Amino acid sequence: MPMPKIHEVGDRVRSSVALHTEKKREPRLRPRQHLKKKLRHKPTKVAIFRYSYYAPAFKYFIEQVLDCEYLRLPDPTDRNIELGSLYSSDYVCTPFKHILGDFIEALELGADIIVQTGGPCRLGYYGELQESILRDLGYEFTMLNFSHGIEKGYVGWAKEVLKVVNPDLNIPHAVRQLIATGGMMSKLDEAHDFYLANRGFEVEKGSFDRAWTALSDAFDACKTDRDITEAFRIAMERFHEIALDKPENPLRIGVVGEFFTAIDENSNLHLERKLTDMGIEIHRMINFTNRYTHYNEPNLRRGASKYLLYDMGPTSTMTVAAALSYAQQGFDGVVHAKSAGCTPEIDCVPVLQQVSADYGMPILYLTYDAQTSDTGLDTRLEAFYDMIAMKKEKHL
Amino acid sequence: MSATSPKGGAHNRERFSGKLAVNNVLLKTDYADVRIIGIPRALLFYRYRTFWTTFFENLGRRVVYSRETDQAILEAGTARSIDECCLASKAYLGHVESLLTTCDAVFVPCYASWNVRCGFCTKFQSLPDLVRNTFAQERYVKDGRLHAGIRILTCEVTDISDKKTVISAYTELAQRLGATPAQTKRAIKEALKAQEAEDAARANAQEEALRLITQLKRQARKSSKEGKPATEPPLTILFAAHPYIAHDHFLGGSVIDALERLDCQIIFADETRHERTFKESFEFSDTIPWVVNRELIGSIMLLQDHIDGIVLVSAFPCGPDSMTDDAIMRCIQGTPILNLLIDAQSGTAGIETRVESFIDILRFQRKGGYIHADA
Repeated sequence: MPMPKIHEVGDRVRSSVALHTEKKREPRLRPRQHLKKKLRHKPTKVAIFRYSYYAPAFKYFIEQVLDCEYLRLPDPTDRNIELGSLYSSDYVCTPFKHILGDFIEALELGADIIVQTGGPCRLGYYGELQESILRDLGYEFTMLNFSHGIEKGYVGWAKEVLKVVNPDLNIPHAVRQLIATGGMMSKLDEAHDFYLANRGFEVEKGSFDRAWTALSDAFDACKTDRDITEAFRIAMERFHEIALDKPENPLRIGVVGEFFTAIDENSNLHLERKLTDMGIEIHRMINFTNRYTHYNEPNLRRGASKYLLYDMGPTSTMTVAAALSYAQQGFDGVVHAKSAGCTPEIDCVPVLQQVSADYGMPILYLTYDAQTSDTGLDTRLEAFYDMIAMKKEKHL
Repeated sequence: MSATSPKGGAHNRERFSGKLAVNNVLLKTDYADVRIIGIPRALLFYRYRTFWTTFFENLGRRVVYSRETDQAILEAGTARSIDECCLASKAYLGHVESLLTTCDAVFVPCYASWNVRCGFCTKFQSLPDLVRNTFAQERYVKDGRLHAGIRILTCEVTDISDKKTVISAYTELAQRLGATPAQTKRAIKEALKAQEAEDAARANAQEEALRLITQLKRQARKSSKEGKPATEPPLTILFAAHPYIAHDHFLGGSVIDALERLDCQIIFADETRHERTFKESFEFSDTIPWVVNRELIGSIMLLQDHIDGIVLVSAFPCGPDSMTDDAIMRCIQGTPILNLLIDAQSGTAGIETRVESFIDILRFQRKGGYIHADA
């Protein structure tokens, strides 16, 4: 059912709403000019690494939360990973190389500040080592590294931002916008889940990609929480309007794996696009929302308690729990994507093999390093597709 | 509130027994029948050997270690592992396999990294599940019934910098082994004391060795000033590697042998007093997440003035070392560093050549380098 337009409803209920909001309005304790928005952002150029489809959320974070200018990186080329591999230790995990390459490109484009997130496992040390490598290369920059202040959580990060980026940040405003950023990431994930499940069955080729670009552009233009909700609503309407030719029982594949490689299409060589092009329905539990916003590790682990006693690593529980849930839902296969040298995901492999054996569900293990060839991946995916398609035919 | 003296005792007893009952539901005594506990001689064994052994022996258990790493163990472990695993973890699985026939249960603890500045590689966190799933095809007998997998004894230590969590983890383990609270308390206390004593003994020995070398150097300098022929003090090499590489005769042994053959005095970075090295490492970096690497780096910084060279050894492809070795090579200036990677190749000629040339350079430098080459 199409939703009624906001203004149509608005005319009818305006008077009652106005009265209602007038009552609920917070008292104006401050003089009005405090609330007046600055005309432009601080002229510092801030760049962040490329990470999948989250660029609009990063832009929103930098412009609305940090109140700085966002430096957009162009679409990635092979030069990115070549630069990254050239300057990093050879057996460090591949996301490190991708991100280092991104930072070099950002600094060449004139970034003043580059942002690195802190995190579990080796990610916590990415920032400091990358800063050291880039300084040795002679770049002048400031790094906003969220690995600092991680012990104190949000307070520590707020102090770090005030110190490094913008001392006259309006904290209450920034907090509100940070929550909105989280909301935008969740909405991006939600839209992407729909995109993955249905892109393989579009009647007119390319309509999902066009709708996705439109969504991305609309999110890029957002300035407030309300803009985000509105953009999301319009985008989802457009997604739902796309004509589909979906069989009753399509091939379904779950994608599991490491947080960077399983999600970022640049580092997994467009794995999802390749799979959906074959007419497969894709599900991917691991994304920002499920890993950070709604992450409840003990709860997830309980579902897979046959295989897991303890938390095995930053994303391991989700990898195993997702694979298990796909197996229980009768998926046709699972693709496990990880970067070379990712210790937690390597340790997951024996567990996944066990799941695969118990449920008779094939799992394709993909390891991406800096030299992974596109054609090699195509061959492996095609072989996997043929296998699961034949298996399905046999069982129907 | 009104539970005063006459009823108080009963009330307290009830409360106490209630708590125990709750604990008994939570903590089964499912390990009570385990008499012989096997500990794999790999990974954290080299850090906590004394603690674990004292703990189990105080609870009346017999402890067996697997034999020293050898080619057969490594091959068995490699066959069990995913090929991308690091060498040390492959060896670990080989050690577990070698223990299967000699003990009732294998001790595989989980050391997690809840403290972001004092954690471990995620390998130590995933070991129990890794071992359970790797050996899922094996079978063992318990209570007259056949069970799938192998029997492992495990506990979860979430944060080693917080003594309370360590004690609570081992309390749970002791209770599952069927120990009374008093036995548990004593076993943990004894174990902590024994481990501290051993660490202190090693640190003292190292300080003593360093003191002797400083003395020798001073003497040599004095006698060369007076024009007398002096005995040259040995080259002091700081061996910075994870303890499971440095003290394993198979993995790190070839490097140690090569250094000893060249008459070097080896100082192990992992033996320097841990509290001091950990604290010192924050001068180097405040975001390194791994406690062992912190201790190695802290040791390098503390001892840099007393040593002639540093040998960094890591097992291929060690996750933490892939980053910290890079940082050490970039940031530690003024002391020559040799960075070696150990892999599954059994030939040692390559390592020997590199160690020899490194020592030659150090000797050359000690004589004055290019500037005073003829002196």
